[in-house]
Amino acid sequence: MDNDLKQLKGLVDAVMPLPEADWLEFAVLWKPFSARRKETLTAMGEPEKYLYFVLEGVQRVFLLDESGREATLIFTYAPSFGGVLDAMLARQPSRYCYETLSASRFIRAPYSEIKLLADRKKAMADFMHVSLTAALSGLLIRMAELQCFSSEEKFRSLLSRSPHILQHVPNKYLANYLGIDPTNFSKLINRMLI
Amino acid sequence: MDFDATCTKIRNMNAVSANKLLNTLELRVDDHLQKAIAIYQNLSDVHLNQPAAGGGWSIASCLEHLNSYGDYYLGEISRAIQKYAGEPGTTARRGWLGNYFIQMMDPDLSVKKYKAFKGHFPAEHLDGHLVVTRFIEQQHELLDLLRRAAGADLNRISIPISLTRFVRLKMGDTFEFIIMHNERHIRQADRNLNGVTGRGLL
Repeated sequence: MDNDLKQLKGLVDAVMPLPEADWLEFAVLWKPFSARRKETLTAMGEPEKYLYFVLEGVQRVFLLDESGREATLIFTYAPSFGGVLDAMLARQPSRYCYETLSASRFIRAPYSEIKLLADRKKAMADFMHVSLTAALSGLLIRMAELQCFSSEEKFRSLLSRSPHILQHVPNKYLANYLGIDPTNFSKLINRMLI
Repeated sequence: MDFDATCTKIRNMNAVSANKLLNTLELRVDDHLQKAIAIYQNLSDVHLNQPAAGGGWSIASCLEHLNSYGDYYLGEISRAIQKYAGEPGTTARRGWLGNYFIQMMDPDLSVKKYKAFKGHFPAEHLDGHLVVTRFIEQQHELLDLLRRAAGADLNRISIPISLTRFVRLKMGDTFEFIIMHNERHIRQADRNLNGVTGRGLL
């Protein structure tokens, strides 16, 4: 098996292993794709046609509103799925932008093909159900942290989940993601280095 | 794409492929960004402001000096590309003056120390993290401009230099000058790292 597909299978098996025949039908949908740093993969107002699987690099989903305010919602990096998932599932124009923060490499599958497969194969539909449940659970945990945690607790929680993120993502986006003022974020960095 | 080999070729001021030049410059900006994100932004304010041994510029001073050039040039280039209504150019050829400035900044060609011009001399104590944040933002902007420039003509668009609007450089030369200048001062900043490599800082 191609190394990229091996990584995908690793994630799939960790979530819910698929029967071999279903896995093979799923695997053929994925095609290689790469992008440079700071490239828009999905623009606001555009459809999200693909489910991405990240092999290299870091990306983010963010909102930019009419007043120019930015909200970084999600970071994606290997080995995880990526894309603007609500737009993909609902087949609605995306409210968010999905962009690369570094040179990135993926495999990606058209969601329309995944949906057709899920309509025919129960195991595929179950896999998506389990994956989405986990994603929802993660989002709720993050909402609770955003509301309850101090800046330092949020910062440490992020580092415990993604220890190397400080070396890959501009601090401005990390501060934005954590809902911390950039000046306070700098103070946290300074404090942790002493 | 080898930046130095490409520049060696260009040193003779022959025409080169515009796309090749832009891609080479983009790779160099990407390197600078990688360094700023992986290392500089995770240094303490004290380290960022520490003068070099012998009294030279700190890391923050080096980057703020670069930011002062970006403050001027990025807006000028953006407006010039926006206004351009011609066909995309396929080649880039250095002008005489552009070649002179670029070689002056090339750290592999010139080790001479230059005094910073008025308006580009950094203050004594800086908010180190803010300086790095601005540097990262400017490099993102520079990447965007390099990509937009593929639809313009690097030879036909000219940009006034920051010292006087009466002297203009070709846009291709302006890009090369900015990025070569960035490289020069990033190497200077790196001499203040004191062995920090960006792995496992926290």
